Amino acid sequence: MNLLQQVLNGLVMGHAYALVAIGWTLLLGVARLVNFGHGQMYMLGAFVTWWAVVKAGVPYALALPIAMACGAVLGAGMQRVMLRATFEQNLVSIMIMTLGFGYVIHGAAALVFGSTGQILDTALSRHEITLGELWITGQDLAIVVATILVFLGLRWLLDGTRIGRLVRMVAEDPKLAQLSGVDVRRVYLGVFAFEGAAVAFAAGMVAPRTPILTSMGFDEVIMTFVVVVFGGIGSVKGSYVAGVALGLFTALFGALVSPAYTTAAAFLALIALLVLRPGGLSAGAGGGVH
Amino acid sequence: MARPALARWALLPVAALVFVAPQLAGGSGAAYSAAVLIAIFAVMAYGLDIIVSDLGEVSLAHTVFFAAGSYTTALLATRAGAGSWATLAASIGVALVLAGVIGLVTLRLREFVFSLVTYAVAVVAMTVAANWAFMGGSDGLRGVPLLDLSLPGLPLKAQDDRTLWPYAFGLLVAALYLVDRFRHSALGAAAVMSHLNPRLATMSGIDLARVRLQVFLVSAPISAAAGWLYAYQRAYVSADVLESYFLILMLTAVVLVGRRQLLGPLLATALVLVQEKFFSLGGDVDRIVLGSVLVLVLGFFPQGLVGLLRPLAAALRRRPAP
Repeated sequence: MNLLQQVLNGLVMGHAYALVAIGWTLLLGVARLVNFGHGQMYMLGAFVTWWAVVKAGVPYALALPIAMACGAVLGAGMQRVMLRATFEQNLVSIMIMTLGFGYVIHGAAALVFGSTGQILDTALSRHEITLGELWITGQDLAIVVATILVFLGLRWLLDGTRIGRLVRMVAEDPKLAQLSGVDVRRVYLGVFAFEGAAVAFAAGMVAPRTPILTSMGFDEVIMTFVVVVFGGIGSVKGSYVAGVALGLFTALFGALVSPAYTTAAAFLALIALLVLRPGGLSAGAGGGVH
Repeated sequence: MARPALARWALLPVAALVFVAPQLAGGSGAAYSAAVLIAIFAVMAYGLDIIVSDLGEVSLAHTVFFAAGSYTTALLATRAGAGSWATLAASIGVALVLAGVIGLVTLRLREFVFSLVTYAVAVVAMTVAANWAFMGGSDGLRGVPLLDLSLPGLPLKAQDDRTLWPYAFGLLVAALYLVDRFRHSALGAAAVMSHLNPRLATMSGIDLARVRLQVFLVSAPISAAAGWLYAYQRAYVSADVLESYFLILMLTAVVLVGRRQLLGPLLATALVLVQEKFFSLGGDVDRIVLGSVLVLVLGFFPQGLVGLLRPLAAALRRRPAP
């Protein structure tokens, strides 16, 4: 049945949204940073994966870590430039700088990879799994599994390790953390490197579902924003739930109403939430990462 | 904050110099075209300037106001044969309505949530403009007539960038006057206070939400008026007026020279456009240059170029008078 297929698509898309958003969730929860270059970092991750697989002939499983390494270096580099503003909590400057970074990444990617669309094909995306009348590709299944693993891994990292404790400490009170000897600077750099690596990994996983273009990335930012805000700022579990819910919503909206306006619809739902309970949101901000 | 009368009078020769600048730069068509675009984009940036510099928020929806001006003008001029005065009035009206709606929705949102929502507004506007057949879809709207501001007994028309320049210059002067008036008004003072010290502002009886909304309503028509003239300059309008280029250009214009410098956005826009028009390194490299300038200025010279000059000026002042 068609509706069931849409629900299945929605579940896959939802996991994809959650995976794309995970880096930003941590970034916002720990450092109260917003990254408007997120979409362009996603685009770059997709293109690096594509380049590694198609041009350099690297196996897909190895292309992903390459893209993640590029993303981590890029993220840490961005954070290095923004360090002063981060310590001052100068959000105006940080937001504008990340927009600028996104613009630079877009220009650089267009220069290197050209402005024609590309297809990132993997063995998994050609492999179809049918279940009665329902079908998904192997890539879709991999996205779901990878997302669950990444989220569980992050929860474990935050709750059960020393690094996680340091990160949570910085999220709660950077000044106090600094006084007690935590190298806050390194935590910020690390969180941004994680953001870069995570979004590159997500791009490598999700990008085979669609053609890739150097001009893409705007929708990803909006969807990430919706996931992060709906999930409760800084909440890892909330992001997962919100991502899956958003996936179901967009799949059903796209199938039943109009596929061209799904981003707009998701955004309107968000506006409704923001207008109805703006207080809940600001209370969540700065409340650390959990 | 009364400005010395001398500084005000000094603006006159500056204005005269700016007016003849394209002539001094060789008087070629390219020089006039660059001058017109600089004026238009500077006006666009002044709309955002008072939000970022005075209110201390980052609105990413100002491309929408700019586009609203362009689209309103193109739609009315091509479909209803409206004249240039009518399209100007309508552009401002549409911008006020949009700013009112966006302002009311985001009234209680701060900082990054505010910016994210305005960013989302811009992305959604782009989707709508590119998909909705009424607005020309991805082809855009072609055949916008020439600018004609003729009054009874006084023909005021522009055929090309050379004859358009006086109008662009006039719009620029009007925008500068408005921004200057705003900065010396009670609303401007309230905006700065609500940004620097919200608690003090509230205690002084300032209604923060009201101030925000009012500043938004002052700022949107400025960017929309720029969009209005841009439609006539380009003779067609498409969804690319919502591209991030305009957003990045606006933001660079606001921060490059320094915040709350009256001529800052104009100077910064001129620098960027002169590079793009006369020293272009290709579209993609120009992108990298513009984005890098924006990032590096904010990252390492948060005061802008003025911040670099300030120690110099202070050193000069400290020198004892002869």
